[in-house]
Amino acid sequence: MSAPSQVPESAENADAVDVAAAATQGRSDADNRSLKQIAWQRLRRDKVAMVSGVVVVLLILAAIFAPLLTKWFGHPPTQFHQDLIDPSRRIPYLDPDNPEAGIDRWGGISSEHPLGVEPTTGRDLLSRILYGAQISLLVAFLATLVCVALGTVLGIVAGYMGGWVDTVISRSMDIFLAFPLMLFAIALVGVIPEGVLGLTGNGLRIGVIVFIIGFFNWPYIARIVRGQTLALREREFVEAAKSLGAGNRHILLKEILPNLITPIIVYATLLIPTNILFEAALSFLGVGINPPTPSWGKMLSEAVPFYQQAPYFIIFPGLAIFITVLAFNLFGDGLRDAFDPKTSD
Amino acid sequence: MLNYILRRLGAGLLLLTVVTAVTFWIFYVLPRWAGVTPHGMAAMYVGKAPTPEALDATVERLGLNQPVAVQFVEFIRSILFGQEFTFGRETVECAAPCLGYSFTTNSPVLPQILDRLPVTLSLGLGAAVIWVVGGVAVGVLSAVKKGSIFDRLAMGTALIGVSLPIYFTGLLALSFLVHQWGLFPVSRYVPFSEDPVGWYQVMLLPWITLAFLHAAQYARQTRAGMLETLGEDYIRTARAKGLSERKVIFKHALRPTLTPILTILGLDIGMVLGGAILTEKVFSLNGVGAYAIDSIISKDLPVILGVTLLGAVFIVVCNLIVDLLYPVVDPRVRITA
Amino acid sequence: MRKRTLGFVALGAAASLFLSACGGSATGGDSDAEGGFDLGSTEVVNPSETTGGTLKYAIAGDFDSTDPANTYYAFNWNFSRYYARTLLAFNPEPGEAATDLIPDMAVDLPEANDDFTEWTVKIKEGLKYEDGSEITSEDIKYGIARSNFNGGTFAEGPQYFSAHLDQDDHNVYEGSDPLAGFDSIETPDDHTLVFHLKDSFSEFPNVLTQPQTAPVPVDADRGELYQEHVVSSGPYKFDGDYEPGVKLNLERNEHWDPDTDPVRSALPDRIEVEIGVNQDEIDERLVNGEIDVDLTGTGVGPSMKSRLLDDDSIQDNLDNPFTGALRYVNIHLPIIEDVACRQAIMYAADRDSMWRAWGGAEGGDIATNLLPPAIPGSDPESDLYSSTDGKGDLEAAEAKLEECGEEDGFKTNIAVRAEREEDVQTAEALQQSLARVGIEVEVKSFPAADFFGQYAGSQDYVRENNIGLSVSGWGPDWPTGYGFASKITHGDAIMETGNFNTSELDDPEINGLWDEALLTEDPDERALIYGQIDTLVMENAAILPVVFDKALIYRSDELTNAYYQPAYMMYDFMTLGVDRGE
Repeated sequence: MSAPSQVPESAENADAVDVAAAATQGRSDADNRSLKQIAWQRLRRDKVAMVSGVVVVLLILAAIFAPLLTKWFGHPPTQFHQDLIDPSRRIPYLDPDNPEAGIDRWGGISSEHPLGVEPTTGRDLLSRILYGAQISLLVAFLATLVCVALGTVLGIVAGYMGGWVDTVISRSMDIFLAFPLMLFAIALVGVIPEGVLGLTGNGLRIGVIVFIIGFFNWPYIARIVRGQTLALREREFVEAAKSLGAGNRHILLKEILPNLITPIIVYATLLIPTNILFEAALSFLGVGINPPTPSWGKMLSEAVPFYQQAPYFIIFPGLAIFITVLAFNLFGDGLRDAFDPKTSD
Repeated sequence: MLNYILRRLGAGLLLLTVVTAVTFWIFYVLPRWAGVTPHGMAAMYVGKAPTPEALDATVERLGLNQPVAVQFVEFIRSILFGQEFTFGRETVECAAPCLGYSFTTNSPVLPQILDRLPVTLSLGLGAAVIWVVGGVAVGVLSAVKKGSIFDRLAMGTALIGVSLPIYFTGLLALSFLVHQWGLFPVSRYVPFSEDPVGWYQVMLLPWITLAFLHAAQYARQTRAGMLETLGEDYIRTARAKGLSERKVIFKHALRPTLTPILTILGLDIGMVLGGAILTEKVFSLNGVGAYAIDSIISKDLPVILGVTLLGAVFIVVCNLIVDLLYPVVDPRVRITA
Repeated sequence: MRKRTLGFVALGAAASLFLSACGGSATGGDSDAEGGFDLGSTEVVNPSETTGGTLKYAIAGDFDSTDPANTYYAFNWNFSRYYARTLLAFNPEPGEAATDLIPDMAVDLPEANDDFTEWTVKIKEGLKYEDGSEITSEDIKYGIARSNFNGGTFAEGPQYFSAHLDQDDHNVYEGSDPLAGFDSIETPDDHTLVFHLKDSFSEFPNVLTQPQTAPVPVDADRGELYQEHVVSSGPYKFDGDYEPGVKLNLERNEHWDPDTDPVRSALPDRIEVEIGVNQDEIDERLVNGEIDVDLTGTGVGPSMKSRLLDDDSIQDNLDNPFTGALRYVNIHLPIIEDVACRQAIMYAADRDSMWRAWGGAEGGDIATNLLPPAIPGSDPESDLYSSTDGKGDLEAAEAKLEECGEEDGFKTNIAVRAEREEDVQTAEALQQSLARVGIEVEVKSFPAADFFGQYAGSQDYVRENNIGLSVSGWGPDWPTGYGFASKITHGDAIMETGNFNTSELDDPEINGLWDEALLTEDPDERALIYGQIDTLVMENAAILPVVFDKALIYRSDELTNAYYQPAYMMYDFMTLGVDRGE
């Protein structure tokens, strides 16, 4: 019930309609730009959203510059430090120079390793978390992109064409939503052969996960887009374009799509944390990228055998997931409120 | 009304067929495209260092060399009409709906799933009660006291709730509440029918952890819905008529808010089977979700198919129930055929 | 947890080996002061003749099958003896004699002809099934026939009978008379069996200890469904059906005669197995006394291990025996063709680092040869690729790289089972240590279930994807060099898929020695041959040994007559009893 069911939460939220309504109203008021300005002003005044926005930016920067950061004050994420670890218990020594002093339940934090080290291998946790952000964010962004691309195209087509096209697309949305996504994901990652589309190793694993999340989650975006398109289709400016002899292509691309961009961006932002959670869940279950490349979910599952003796190991990877997801959620919320015409100033 | 139900059921059946076909495609066809031979598949069901003869025989026995279309038709047929299985010299009737026999344990799939269903249902339904009651209550209070400290705190907590993965909170809870502080017992699932108290004690922590995640979403939803309805004219009318605030809130404002809640609840409950995977894994509950993961790990194809199909059935049925409940919750909704 | 390890001998030096292996451990617990730590490895702990009570087992996974024909797990072979007697058995006493063969249903050890192709064995009179009917040699013949000649009905068990019996294709489930045409085993009377083999097989008696030699009444055989209720020939019978994933209960079989049975003391009144219990929970309940034995015998999980080592008061309740398995890395000959390149890997590997991945002193000993220490012919001291502290000899490695024309190192991939944490860490450690001499290794993780069927054990896959290394583990089917290593080093064992001679070692000299061993009568002479094979495999650098692993086992005070039986690499279940002190 966890990860997959969080998807409808963000997408099916009651506020969904409002944002899109805002976009439509904006156009019918023939004053789209001012709406964006108002939204921007509101966003800037929303401290929580701004702070979380900054956190999001920092996280992205940290992920991009992880190699640089670890070079400065860390150790490479795959480098072993087994001299710090009691081999029998697999947990860091309290004092590596004096093994008799026992083990450190709190993870071997030192000035060398500010977040401590991993059990058994003694790899630096900080650099593994930084590198883990790369995988997490990359997968989440790409998967969201796939969702948005598929969802937008199919949603617009269904909403605009109507008739049997709409029926077919809407029914297939139902079908996609009925799949036990997580089971399929686990199965598919094990099945896709090396070398498909020229991808191997981690490139392939990331590709497969992105494909799975994107391919099975598009209906959430599609539903919203379809609803908006239905509403927009009946508006005067579309009618006007039609009466001026504009083709379907023109109307879809020039008249309808621009009005959908705001709600799509808002929901894409809210979809990212869901996808982060999904990727982490998969790697927690042991389906993900190849070792020794770090990923947050895998780090958590590796900590499981130690949760009784040294609960420490679950805390930092868990916090990394939590902070990232929370930041995206808060920022997405702020974005939605900012574009919501009903929010009073 | 009846017409409507029949139509929905028909659509549900179609949906189940498609889900089954896709599952089949993923587990039977895709591996072959990926270059897996029937012998490669058979190797995982054979003991260590298999002889070529043993592999041949296993391919034959499990029907791995049959065309996939034939296997698919067989599968559907045995669900609808049952099937006869031959074990040694003995023939056993597997009555409809027959999901076949496990490749690894040689036991019938459906009873195995049904054995584990109570665990998953206990988990999902128990948690659902907590998150619906808790979430809606908090949502109503927040809406009524909009802007208050309670509202801010509750909504803050709610946002934290949706951002916490269960494999983090669950592990934290196990680590600290159970092992470090001993607030909850380390114990094994016992059926409600055998020991209601023990059942409750074991399930309480998983319930709370799972409910926390979902309650957040219900609280946010309820609050948003309540705020909207509280602004409507008829609420003002009701208040003007001198109705007590309690009556206004619960009788007039809350009911329409429950419709979208019901939609989400339908989806969530429908996902209980497939979604319980993580919770069951974290809390070591031997339910359908854990069974599903195990079957995927051991590539037990009949079990994978069975669990997937049952999961989809659950989703279809829950959605249907929700649709039928709409008019009950919100009198403004009428079902038309 | 498939492809499990089975059986190994602890002759002669075993006892001292265990002790020396524990010496110098970096643990906080004082091990030998009271002589309690690891006592079960060498002695019968808590000897008692108290009968009665319920002996409680629990398991995190499940039986592979309760049908004696269809199982390959060591614990399963050990446990099935409660209800399925075999022709021969391992001697139920600790120490040197533990792996001697003794008769179980047989009257005496089997007799062979001159070239070991014909074996005759007589069974005792008065052996009975749980319904009181007589067990005949025909029933044993049928049990064996159905286990290996069944048209694929049973796939889990070993295939020694089909590989060695001089028998044409046969399927007991076809035709009206299941044994018509099955002539490779003769039953001249109700108490005699004569086995006719294709080739010389001096170690055949070891095969007769396997559960496949248990008698099965033809009429009771329900194919795959027989496992639900096996007809008992031992001291216990099924109480209700075996429920996969849930439970198996056994109660006393009144028709079993203790006077005919030298192996089973049958002390408890009842045996119960809880199936599918989480490992942490099993460990917790073991220590609480709610469970008596972890059925798999693989020891406690890492969390409990740490707790037990830190608790001085329970050191006497711990045993730390070898599990009998070798953890190793295959070096695939078709991918890394030049022997010098392979030897460079052997030199560069940091064995200390990989040993840490297996949990240090209590996790096992660093392995530098092929045969586990307790197998006759093994020389654990030999080390062709020695280095200071086991950290690897980088100079020697670089010299070898030069010799094979890869001065700058090379690139390859290492395949590993994703679910096996220790395997993954072994691969990661190897990756780190090989990088020191420029050998770049990429780790590829695959689902364990398909590992040998589709990835590391598939010749095509290995070649197409440049898989030069793979992490594996192996244990003996019986405690000799042949029972341990023939399937992973004999050229004849190479398969297209499901290949367990994963390095594809096919060396005429080694193959010849294996064949020679099967013609050799004297076990000591055979042991010498196995020692030669060990050295040759190391020279070929086909297998990089990592550790001989060990289990840390909690032994409750209420458990009686616990001793470590090396043939099953765990306690001998048949002698166990409980004394709750009531």
